[in-house]
Amino acid sequence: MAISASTVNRRRHPTLLSRLRSRRYAAYWMVLPLVLVVIGLVVYPFFYSIYLSLENKKETKFVGLRNYQRLIRYGTFWLVVGNSFRFTLTAVFFKATLGLVLAIILNNLPFRGQRVWRGVSLIPWVMPLALSSLGWWWIFEPTHSAVNWVLVQCGITGKPWLSDPTWARVSTIVTNIWFGTPFFMIMYLAGLKSIPQSLYEAAEIDGAGATQRFRYVTFPMLRKLIAITVMFSTIVTFANFDIVRILTRGGPRYTTHLFGTYAFNIGIETGHLPRGAAIALFMFPVLGIAAFFILRNIARGEE
Amino acid sequence: MISSLAKRKKMKMTVSYFVLIPFLVFFLFPLYWMLITSFKTDTEITSLKGIPLIIQSKPTLAHYKKILFGTEFLKWVKNSLIIAALVTFLTMVISILAAYAISRLRFFASQYFGVGVFCTYLVPPTLLFIPFFKIVGSLGLLNTKWALLFLYPTFTAPFCTWILIGFFSAIPRALDEAAFVDGASYIQMLWKVFLPVAAPGLIAATMFAFTVSWAQFLYPLAYIYRGDQQVLTAGIYTTLIRGDVYFWGELMGASLLASVPVVVFFAFLMDYYIAGLTGGMLR
Amino acid sequence: MAKITRRKFIKDVAVGSAAVAGAMAAPGVVRKAYTQKPKLSVAMWNHWVPGATDVLKAVADEWAKKNKVDLRIDFIGPSSTEMLTVASAEARAGTGHDIIALTTFDGLFFMDKFEPLDDVADYVQGKYGKYDEVSTYISHVDGRWVTVPSPTGSHSYPMVTRKDMWREYAGIDVEDIFPPDVRKRDPKKVDAYNYDAFLEACKKVAKAGHMYGNPLSECSDADDWACPLFLSFGSIPVDEKGNITIESDETLEALEYMKELAQYMPKEIYGWDDASNNRWIISGKGSAIQNPPSAWAVAKRTRPDVAAQLWHHDTPRGPKGRFRGCLFFTYGLWKWCKDKKMAKEYLKYMLESAQQWKILAAAQGYDMPQLKPMYSHPVWEEIGPPKGGQYNYIRRGDEHLIVGGWPAHPLIGAQIYRKYLIPVMAAKVTTGEMTPKEAMKWCARELEEVIE
Repeated sequence: MAISASTVNRRRHPTLLSRLRSRRYAAYWMVLPLVLVVIGLVVYPFFYSIYLSLENKKETKFVGLRNYQRLIRYGTFWLVVGNSFRFTLTAVFFKATLGLVLAIILNNLPFRGQRVWRGVSLIPWVMPLALSSLGWWWIFEPTHSAVNWVLVQCGITGKPWLSDPTWARVSTIVTNIWFGTPFFMIMYLAGLKSIPQSLYEAAEIDGAGATQRFRYVTFPMLRKLIAITVMFSTIVTFANFDIVRILTRGGPRYTTHLFGTYAFNIGIETGHLPRGAAIALFMFPVLGIAAFFILRNIARGEE
Repeated sequence: MISSLAKRKKMKMTVSYFVLIPFLVFFLFPLYWMLITSFKTDTEITSLKGIPLIIQSKPTLAHYKKILFGTEFLKWVKNSLIIAALVTFLTMVISILAAYAISRLRFFASQYFGVGVFCTYLVPPTLLFIPFFKIVGSLGLLNTKWALLFLYPTFTAPFCTWILIGFFSAIPRALDEAAFVDGASYIQMLWKVFLPVAAPGLIAATMFAFTVSWAQFLYPLAYIYRGDQQVLTAGIYTTLIRGDVYFWGELMGASLLASVPVVVFFAFLMDYYIAGLTGGMLR
Repeated sequence: MAKITRRKFIKDVAVGSAAVAGAMAAPGVVRKAYTQKPKLSVAMWNHWVPGATDVLKAVADEWAKKNKVDLRIDFIGPSSTEMLTVASAEARAGTGHDIIALTTFDGLFFMDKFEPLDDVADYVQGKYGKYDEVSTYISHVDGRWVTVPSPTGSHSYPMVTRKDMWREYAGIDVEDIFPPDVRKRDPKKVDAYNYDAFLEACKKVAKAGHMYGNPLSECSDADDWACPLFLSFGSIPVDEKGNITIESDETLEALEYMKELAQYMPKEIYGWDDASNNRWIISGKGSAIQNPPSAWAVAKRTRPDVAAQLWHHDTPRGPKGRFRGCLFFTYGLWKWCKDKKMAKEYLKYMLESAQQWKILAAAQGYDMPQLKPMYSHPVWEEIGPPKGGQYNYIRRGDEHLIVGGWPAHPLIGAQIYRKYLIPVMAAKVTTGEMTPKEAMKWCARELEEVIE
């Protein structure tokens, strides 16, 4: 390949222009795989499912918003909406709070103890959720429940963990809390470690007690982390499938259904795929709004 | 003065442990329950006599034998390993390149990419699995484990990219400048200079991708129907439950065995994982 | 020293992507390799009876060897829902197995994508007589055989009673009323086993601490006992013409009956799944359920003392007759199958009595035959203990075999069944959530949505 003097010159002393040009070019190439994955496997199926939700049951003709209208008209759908919000908000609140409390306590332990407790506490999050849900199901199983046995020994009657609407909701939420708290705990623990000791010392000198130190040092420093973890957890919890599918399949009488499990029930089990898609699509605006508010919160916090 | 400080500290310790113990019980009880169930005989599992919290009659290895030799468990392990490893590798390639480009190379709309990437999480698997039927089918990947290799990056790549963006952004640009002055190409800079410094973040992203791939349940349940192509989560669920007959001993044992690789993985790399995960987040 | 940034970079990326793409395409390439023999792939339910799938596979392989066909059978579990998921996926993708086994109404969801199987059904009926009423109901729709009935995995829900407990506490000897020989039945005693007598008996066994238990939740087991009960009272959700007839005196009567009966049933039934009633009776706590012999089979393994007392027999008689719920399998043949003639030959072969005889034996009595000649298989008389306990598992008396949703058009019946409308309606009344009149109204509204 002939190398001209000018090319050699350009290569040895890259001009600003050529550096910029090649940087953009390189950038596009590097981002391309991710963009392909997102467009091909997220954006396209998303729009396809919108299209699907606008079709009739046999998928032969276009019926506009009829699936959505039908859903809104019947009570069961609103039950699912209520469940999903109740499940998500309760579970995330407890996970975040417990995670924070545990992190603070763990942070005060001697280092070696911390490592062990950290490792052990991570186990629920590390086990595949579908399989640990099977374990929880066996724990709640009406005839053989270990929890009820313990309660009965303590003189309390056993609870209908999976057959009463309220208790069934408690069971699914407890399982979710069991699974998700370690994630929050680990996040906050590391977050706590990054808070400089000097801030605490300064606060102590100013005469701040434990609660005040928390309010004025710990919490503000962790704000961004709390916002991010709560946001992620809200989105993932809202879209939960494994726990409810395995523990209650949505029952009793639809009182524990989430969007994901209800979409599966209607879409696959009653053979009405377009309506199942419509149900699943309801998740998107809700999650979008939640994400918007939290991201805005983070952005404001940065200022 | 000193003794009261020490006493106060000791009180604090005691209280801390006091509060932690119930949580430990909460976190570990299901594990314990699954463990003893997997060693109990079938008769004991179904009986209502005595104390269920301990093994009352002779413990048995029959369930584990059945799992390892009577089902395609080992095939599922192989499939889970292959898929999780390949997906992790693929994810890391995609994420490192994208995160580097977004955090370092200013280009058209790059600052919105971070948020945009995150927005893909708003379209969860429970929504995507329906349109995926057609996509997976038309590619001829239905009922094969390669369908998973194709689909899993949808939920691993965005998060890993996000972690890495945070992490890469924290690396001082002076490092880049130094490398460019030496005449390195982008790839060389990335490979030789950048990645070694970002190691904790990389480890965190790798572990996240591996764990999440290992645990995925809905996709294998929906797209794979052959025992020899199935992975652990869906394999255990669909084979050890037949109609209305549940093999509880085997189910619990298999679930524990299926969790061992990830737990071991974490035990070794946990410190890096935590450093990496939060290092990126806090920036 | 100075490298060509862009070119090397592009090369790196290209090589990397090619490697990944190659890895992904490789399996496809291998699979599309040219084979000499014609191929047939079948999706079957993964039978829980140990060894049953092996026998079926062996029988099928014999045919495959004789006809030089590359046969592949995938056994899918754990339940019929997975079969439906597979079918949904394949229907969407337009490719997959050639033959697929589906339960109850599921095959009808893919009516347009299945090849009519009239010739197979005519062949079988020509040899062995007509199919029973349920099989015909779910397979012969809109004038053609959309699917063809398959006994493998098909089962029904008779009463399963602890004969010792009912003898002692309720004073009812089910072994005597339903002996292991239909000729020895006393018609008066059989007639006296009606829902009133049943309720009285349930009160007594409940007092003794061993209740009758069956789910009233969203699972098919709930449909399979609640729907027949309602039908036996004359309560019909939707009739053949498509009229919603749920709001009727008969339904009211059935709901009142349920309200009473549920007082003597465990409180957990509202959260039970398909296996809970099995566990209920195997643990020794329950004295009666309605189930196929899977509960007995597990009890035989883990609680032989309980298993030896389990008697399968007819359901109680209601004002409008005796009804029993069924969950039958069907075979469907996808239109994309390359060699339909060969697939139909396979089906004809598998449904012949010579093959069915072996398969029924391997299923240890769980599979319900759908043709009269198969009823004389000895398995139900011989299997035990207790010997003869499963004799009445197959229909010997005057029970109508139905599936929830009958007699409406099967596509409507499918919705009624899959939305568990009858058990949920009953549960709303028995938990006090609604009055019977309100519950009927609720059900009627749900049915309106189903009809349109």
